[in-house]
Amino acid sequence: MSTSPAPLPIRLLAQWRTFAPSWMILAGLAVMPLLLSSPNFIRLLFVTLLWITTSVAWNLLGGFAGQISFGFAVFYGIGAYTTALSMNAGVNPFIAFLVSAITAAAASLLVGLPTFRLRGPYFAIATIGISEAVRVVMTNLSFTGGASGYRIVEHRAFRQLDHYYTALVLASIAVAFSVFISRTRFGLGLNAIRQDEDAAAGLGVNPYAYKLGAHALAAALTGMVGGVFSRYAAFIHPQGVFGFQTSVHILLMPVIGGIATIWGPVLGGVVFGIVEEQIIASFPEIHLFIYGSMLILIILVEPGGILGAFRKLLRRIHGRR
Amino acid sequence: MTLIEFVNLLASALLLAGIYAVMSVGMTVIYGVMKIVNLAHAGFMMLGAYLALELFERFRIDPILAALLVFPVMFVVGRVLHWLLVRRLPTSDQPTLASLLLMFGLWLVLQNLGYFIWGNADRSIYTSHTLSLLRFGAVTISTVRLVVFGAAVACMVALHLILNHTWFGRSVRALIQNRYAGQIVGVDDQKTASITFGLGIGFAGLAGALLASLYSFNPDFGRPFLIRAFVIIVLGGLESVSGVAIGAFVLAFVETFGILFVPAGYQLALSYGLLVVVLIFLPGGVAALTAKVRRLA
Amino acid sequence: MLRTRRVGRGLSMAVCAVLTFSFFTACSRNKTGSSDSITVGVVLPITGREGKPGQYQREGIELAIKQINQNGGILVKDLDKKLPIKEVFYDDTSDQAKSAAFAERAMSSDNVVAVVGAYSTALGEAESVMPDRYQVPWITTGAAASTIFNHGYQYAFGTLSPTNLLGSTTAEYLGTLVDQRKLTKGLKLALALENTDHGVDYGNGIKEWIQQHPGYFVVVFSENFDLGSPDFSGLLQKVKSANADIFLADAHLQDYITMHRQYLQSGMRHLMISYGARGPESDARKALGDGVDYIFAGIWWSRNLPYPQVKKFNEDYKAFTGHEPDSWYPATAYDAMRALAKAIENAGTLNKTAIRDALRKVQLNDSLLPGQTLKFGANGQINTPFVIVQNKPGGKVDIVFPKDAATGDSIAPTPKH
Repeated sequence: MSTSPAPLPIRLLAQWRTFAPSWMILAGLAVMPLLLSSPNFIRLLFVTLLWITTSVAWNLLGGFAGQISFGFAVFYGIGAYTTALSMNAGVNPFIAFLVSAITAAAASLLVGLPTFRLRGPYFAIATIGISEAVRVVMTNLSFTGGASGYRIVEHRAFRQLDHYYTALVLASIAVAFSVFISRTRFGLGLNAIRQDEDAAAGLGVNPYAYKLGAHALAAALTGMVGGVFSRYAAFIHPQGVFGFQTSVHILLMPVIGGIATIWGPVLGGVVFGIVEEQIIASFPEIHLFIYGSMLILIILVEPGGILGAFRKLLRRIHGRR
Repeated sequence: MTLIEFVNLLASALLLAGIYAVMSVGMTVIYGVMKIVNLAHAGFMMLGAYLALELFERFRIDPILAALLVFPVMFVVGRVLHWLLVRRLPTSDQPTLASLLLMFGLWLVLQNLGYFIWGNADRSIYTSHTLSLLRFGAVTISTVRLVVFGAAVACMVALHLILNHTWFGRSVRALIQNRYAGQIVGVDDQKTASITFGLGIGFAGLAGALLASLYSFNPDFGRPFLIRAFVIIVLGGLESVSGVAIGAFVLAFVETFGILFVPAGYQLALSYGLLVVVLIFLPGGVAALTAKVRRLA
Repeated sequence: MLRTRRVGRGLSMAVCAVLTFSFFTACSRNKTGSSDSITVGVVLPITGREGKPGQYQREGIELAIKQINQNGGILVKDLDKKLPIKEVFYDDTSDQAKSAAFAERAMSSDNVVAVVGAYSTALGEAESVMPDRYQVPWITTGAAASTIFNHGYQYAFGTLSPTNLLGSTTAEYLGTLVDQRKLTKGLKLALALENTDHGVDYGNGIKEWIQQHPGYFVVVFSENFDLGSPDFSGLLQKVKSANADIFLADAHLQDYITMHRQYLQSGMRHLMISYGARGPESDARKALGDGVDYIFAGIWWSRNLPYPQVKKFNEDYKAFTGHEPDSWYPATAYDAMRALAKAIENAGTLNKTAIRDALRKVQLNDSLLPGQTLKFGANGQINTPFVIVQNKPGGKVDIVFPKDAATGDSIAPTPKH
């Protein structure tokens, strides 16, 4: 890193070959729905793109900075409810998504300010407590419909492609952020915090501020995903969007794919978004068994997730080390 | 609130605390030694409950005795799983995400096993004692709850004694305090970990089997207990049996008495709020506070 | 992170490969809509919290499909032939997002003429958005909350009567007990309601009836509780302190069993006790034995209804599944499937809007449900009366209300053990 004094945009341009496949995927995803108009396939891709975004977002904090949070359902849910409430008040959905991002980021500060003083498992478990407390409060709050859930009434015809391209843009932004951050001082700082928080502080990184920053960014992305999801689902419920399961899923995706990497969380999102549903749909009686064994196998073959296993394979093929 | 109502509530809070303690203790031992957060805990509780049911229905074994028999079975299950899966995980001083994923996958597999063998009906153990009551004046206590409480306390005392008065216990405590130092002084950490994992799973199964006398269950059993167990082991400071007991008491009392001050729907928000407050102001758990007080005294 | 870049490229290719693969698997089920059968989507939970009732409902639907197919299927006039029904089943794992996703999947890609299913209010609410979006008729067999049917949806139907009718029927039943002098006037009610639309509607039904009939009852306690709690001792203590004469709760099956066990273990007693639409389930009797005696429940159907078609259904169901129909679950699902089949036949085409129009007019005259006539109202929901059943000693369950369907007398108040 120290030998590259050129400004970042130029460096990124210079590495166009590295990014060529990414552009190809993006172009493929952008064109695909136009060629194949299967609503179910587009829905699957849409859901997958949303999961990819949350997975990449979680990875900013949990992967790069090593702060394991079990509480991302809070931001997902807050985003979902913010969009839902704003849209029913007549706000344009895209503005509502931005409002969701801001609310979720604000919430992340409220969560982060006290809990980032905690370390390791204590932080993880504090986020469980907060997330569950929020869920219980939301189940009882009357202006959001409480346990009855909340319905979004949109007065225009449902166009699936609108939703799809929103999700595609969002996922691209998330991945771009992830690439960008991993190449900046901020990313290096987060990396240092993961490896040794005290040493990082000694090197002039302010761990508390860095963690809050990563948390806010991740929360804003997750909040937007919640908003995009709620517009699509048109009905949200606190047990769903604020559920502990949601947090666990958001956390497991990057682990499945490969934590603290760029592409691992993306892969995890794909496994979670497409593979899980395909398994449930194809094997209604034994889907838990198949999916569970798959997770166990992935982690036993390579604790670094799918990406780690892939790396091993590549190394073996190329015969390097 | 009258005095009688208060005593009644006190009794039910105490009994609940016993249940909570025994269901969390298995999670604590595993966490303490191996730093693995056992997400599959609920799955093992479910397995224990069904084993107790089978023993009761097929061999007419008293459910409490059956629960004690479930313990060795689940202990073996735990050791086998350790040999098969868990020992392949990288060891660490911190809970690793790999272990979380492994345990989550295991939970799914266990649930499916439950559906496969026992179907999705709500099963339960019904004996002539299920509904019998002990009356002390106006105070009523359920016999089964009391027996389960007694069994839970006895098992926890036994575990406490094992950990404090045997060589195995010593090596466990050594590993809890400092894994590497433990290895240096000759603790066989693989073997200790294996036995610990067996103990943890055994206790999960035991707790499930005891709870089978109190609740009806299906393969999804244990989900509401999982997060409570998290709360309890944190309140208890994550690594000691006595800490778990304290954590269980605190949670049970907050849940039982909290409902008198807030609407029933907000009851859980109170427990989770408590968890967060404890963490922020008292990161060692309630146990650390009592230890501090003891040191000062 | 340097290493990441090196493998990034190959990996992106892998992402491409996975996407392509998933595309083919996603499309593989699209071929289901062939011209030699009628495809019907069924989305129900068979795992998770609601697994058991979901399975009962699935059995009801599958029994109906089997019987229709044994008769050669449904005559479709447009095609001039009889077509069998083909079921596409999805387990939504008691999860709302999956419930909506699978309803959408069936409607958009499996070429179904309708989707039947959705047990429990919350899952049904999540699915209820989809029918109008894809203009595919949808019949919920297990969600009754009014919020599903007051949004002006055009393709949503339901074979469960509204839950507030359950509440008011419960109150009316207690009122007749007062009229018969089995209970006295002015008794105090304590309500413990599950914190969902189901609980809210139930409570409202009771309170409305009380308002319309002053002097009968007063509500002295009413609180919501969270489903799935392992301990209700605090709530029950509050109920105890309220000193009510009658205890009415609204709960799901598991919560009913847990709560009633603690109720009995804390030595509580009321003149009458009910858990809403739960009560006669065999799992509950297995768990609590005689403890469930005298509990009454308002349910959508009972296997003791004195209709010949109910008797036949009981036999067929037992032969099909190997067990008796438990509580009301299979019946509303069975009738939903039959109503759909009849509507398709009336429509004479597989056009979904035509089937929707036919569903609006369809009338099932040999319905299993109380009143024997099934007909969807203007909002899509049926409005058949409830029956009140009471558990009797020895495992018997009697219909005790309304009078014309009764198979036994109410035992009121609950005798001392």
